[in-house]
Amino acid sequence: MKFKKHILTAVMFLTALPFTSANAMDAAAKVGAMAPDFTATDALTGESFKLSDHKGEIVVLEWSNHDCPFVRKHYDSGNMQDTQKEALANENVKWVTIVSSAEGKQGYVSADEAKKIVMDEGASISAKILDPSGEIGHLYGAQTTPHMYVINAEGVLAYAGAIDDKPSPSAASLEGATNYVKQALGEIEAGEAVSVAQTKPYGCGIKY
Amino acid sequence: MRLLLLFLSIFTVLVGLQGPTYAMESDNGANKVKVRLIAERTSIQGGEEIWIGIEQQIAPHWHTYWKNPGDSGSAPQISWDLPEGFEISEIQWPAPHKMPYPPLTNYGYSDSVILLQKLMVPDVLPEGEIELEADFEVLVCKEECIPEYGTYSLSLNDQDALSVQEDNGAYIAAALKKVPVMQGWDASYMQDGSELVLNVTPSEKLSNIDLDSVAIFPTEWGMVNNSAQAMVSEADGTYVIKQERGERELSAVKMSEFVLRYDVDGQEYTYAFEAGFNDEVMNADQTGADGQALSIEGSGFTGGFLGALIFALIGGLILNLMPCVFPVLSLKALSLVKIAQKHPVEARIHGFAYTFGVILSFLVIAGALLLLKSVGAGIGWGFQLQNPLIVGALAYLLFILGLNLSGVFEFSNPFGNAGGKLANQSGPMGSFFTGILATLVATPCTAPFMAGAIGYAMVQPAYISLSVFAALGFGLALPYLALALFPPLQKILPKPGAWMEVFRQLLAFPMFGAAVWLVWVLGMQTGGGGSAALLSGMVFIAFGIWLMRHSPVKPVRLLIVRVLVVLSFVIAFVAMPKQHSNSVMPHSNSDHDEWYSAYSSEALEQALLSDQPVFVEMTASWCITCKVNHAVAINIDSTKTLFAEKDVQYFVGDWTNEDPEITKFLTRYGRSGVPLYVYYGAPSADTGERPDPEVLPQVLTPALIKKTFVQ
Repeated sequence: MKFKKHILTAVMFLTALPFTSANAMDAAAKVGAMAPDFTATDALTGESFKLSDHKGEIVVLEWSNHDCPFVRKHYDSGNMQDTQKEALANENVKWVTIVSSAEGKQGYVSADEAKKIVMDEGASISAKILDPSGEIGHLYGAQTTPHMYVINAEGVLAYAGAIDDKPSPSAASLEGATNYVKQALGEIEAGEAVSVAQTKPYGCGIKY
Repeated sequence: MRLLLLFLSIFTVLVGLQGPTYAMESDNGANKVKVRLIAERTSIQGGEEIWIGIEQQIAPHWHTYWKNPGDSGSAPQISWDLPEGFEISEIQWPAPHKMPYPPLTNYGYSDSVILLQKLMVPDVLPEGEIELEADFEVLVCKEECIPEYGTYSLSLNDQDALSVQEDNGAYIAAALKKVPVMQGWDASYMQDGSELVLNVTPSEKLSNIDLDSVAIFPTEWGMVNNSAQAMVSEADGTYVIKQERGERELSAVKMSEFVLRYDVDGQEYTYAFEAGFNDEVMNADQTGADGQALSIEGSGFTGGFLGALIFALIGGLILNLMPCVFPVLSLKALSLVKIAQKHPVEARIHGFAYTFGVILSFLVIAGALLLLKSVGAGIGWGFQLQNPLIVGALAYLLFILGLNLSGVFEFSNPFGNAGGKLANQSGPMGSFFTGILATLVATPCTAPFMAGAIGYAMVQPAYISLSVFAALGFGLALPYLALALFPPLQKILPKPGAWMEVFRQLLAFPMFGAAVWLVWVLGMQTGGGGSAALLSGMVFIAFGIWLMRHSPVKPVRLLIVRVLVVLSFVIAFVAMPKQHSNSVMPHSNSDHDEWYSAYSSEALEQALLSDQPVFVEMTASWCITCKVNHAVAINIDSTKTLFAEKDVQYFVGDWTNEDPEITKFLTRYGRSGVPLYVYYGAPSADTGERPDPEVLPQVLTPALIKKTFVQ
């Protein structure tokens, strides 16, 4: 018995293993890497929206919460609608608004409310996705509303971050602001590299 | 306005409220943040500098933001309208707190905060009252956010004002104390996989710092996961602070200010310092802050690239002796001699094919590992054995190899034609596959001193990592390659003969032994049912292999046999336990007697208050070195007697399944894994203070323990 134990001990000793701890980081989307795929229902049409079906097209993701003052700044001033119009002027661009507010939290809406908000705001968007489980939000590591992502025709995440360079809830800050989404779209369409590919998103925290 | 001020001043005096009198525009009563501008004093002279405070009184449960707001929010903005000649400095920010709103974390302030700006007064002052005005924009959030705007003003040198000599010096001085002072410390940060590693050397040791309470706040965004905890260790006055990274590559942030804060007994200490990005080679020595992590051979690993290559080569050589690799290779070597006698050229081809197979598979595995790491999985070499599925699969593999060696069945060459035995001649292709097999069975058996080279490799640019792994593979392949290339070496080997078959069968037993160990590891990971399931799986595998030997001539029967074979293998794999058990089983091992206590940070703290020496052992069931150390050096009569004589308090922490408390302890001593042994000597009779804790090497002997305790 003792002998066997020693053999086992010897076997174990020889097969000694180094070991490192595994702290899995959130699998957040990474600029320059393939944008994670997702499938969800478009609240506007009731049809399914699958990101990977839109390879070959440029897709803009906009995280939103209609009660957040930062979102209000960009919609009440017409800045967001303007950005959407300019983006969708190119038929090869899709604009998807995503709401990741959990049920009972600020910004959570039903499909009907979501439609109404789009109407009231005069937004021009391709699809609006309700993500109350926060699944897509976590997939992309979305932190704020607004939080913007631009995915190029190859399905690679080309831009992630703020809508512009003025992290303020005040509409006055829009003057002279650099709109990063417009800039990225312009550069992609011109076949250039996106010059500012990642910025700090600003706004209200997403109410997961 | 003046009337209001008068009223407020009287009110303040009457109620006896602390705090200064102040000047301000009326605030909207519904605001969540009440803002006041406070001058250090209201009477000024030309050429001087005074502090202006922007005080925010924040409604309960709401918060405002630091200059880096964290995951969301935004910092307050102030724009001044100053009389000509006046200038004002950047805002001085008090140290922030973390505001968790899972999964997000913000950096900011609750209750109240005073931001400070220095006003530079021109040499020549205008006559009479001086009016300063500021637009202040502040975002205040609970879960929802409200932006609040206001215009505030401040009167200086107002001869008519009631309180000509307002002196808020003490109030401002108290506010300044909360602004961390910029230190000229030596500090740099680097990227280690999914972590930011910050090395800080304060000009003098931080007094009674509580490492567990340390938090860091970079002013640059995206450097750290704001929700993650900082892990701090200290050696020779340098603090190594590790925190999970944020969304930015650190190479994109060349420089950042940091605020470091810690608390001791409710007292808060804050410092600010600047650190630059360090893209220098991060060698394994720095990861082991106490220089002990790799001291298995008594020497730290500091060798750099060349050193890592040599270490890897030696490590690879040693892998040849692993119980799972040795049998495969020794047979292979013997068969080589047979070939070499007739066709020396072919022997060389075999040698190269085998080497190619080994190096290629090492590169494939290393490449996969780097890929996983690059997408953010915080793993390292040896991570395989954390996963019950891999442990199970390896146990099966070793079991099957054991069956093969004992002659129960023969492998056929995967590329068709009835093949020779695994370790027999079967063309260079066979040698190539032997190389792959050798790598497969060897990868988990990494020799201890390879840890340094591998640890080094994992934090290097891909081409360096891959070179190190290639060197490792080359080391593994070297003995066989040498045999193939230099025929004189073959003379060392015994002459082939009938004894080889017996030898081969004998070698099956180490294989079975290794399989038994893995079954036991799996049992520890998944509970007793897990090992039973795996053992049942082995029965099915044996059954399937037995069935394979039967190939009936009738197609129908052949089909039935084939289906059954496939089925039994499928069942074996379905039977494999896949989940870690939730309950840790720290004391199920009969090796563990009742002479120690389970580790917890409170228990350790308590023990350290006593006069007894304290010994902490961090272990895990799957950690073989730990088990061997325990059996050989700790759980023996002489050590037990020693513990009793010295009245040692002995704690054991079981890290079989991850335990954050133990992880924290490990990190404090610069480790990312077990084993870890720490000895806290008894307090000195003169000073009442304990000597510095001593970290013991990763391979223990009874003599070593005795030496540690008796010195």
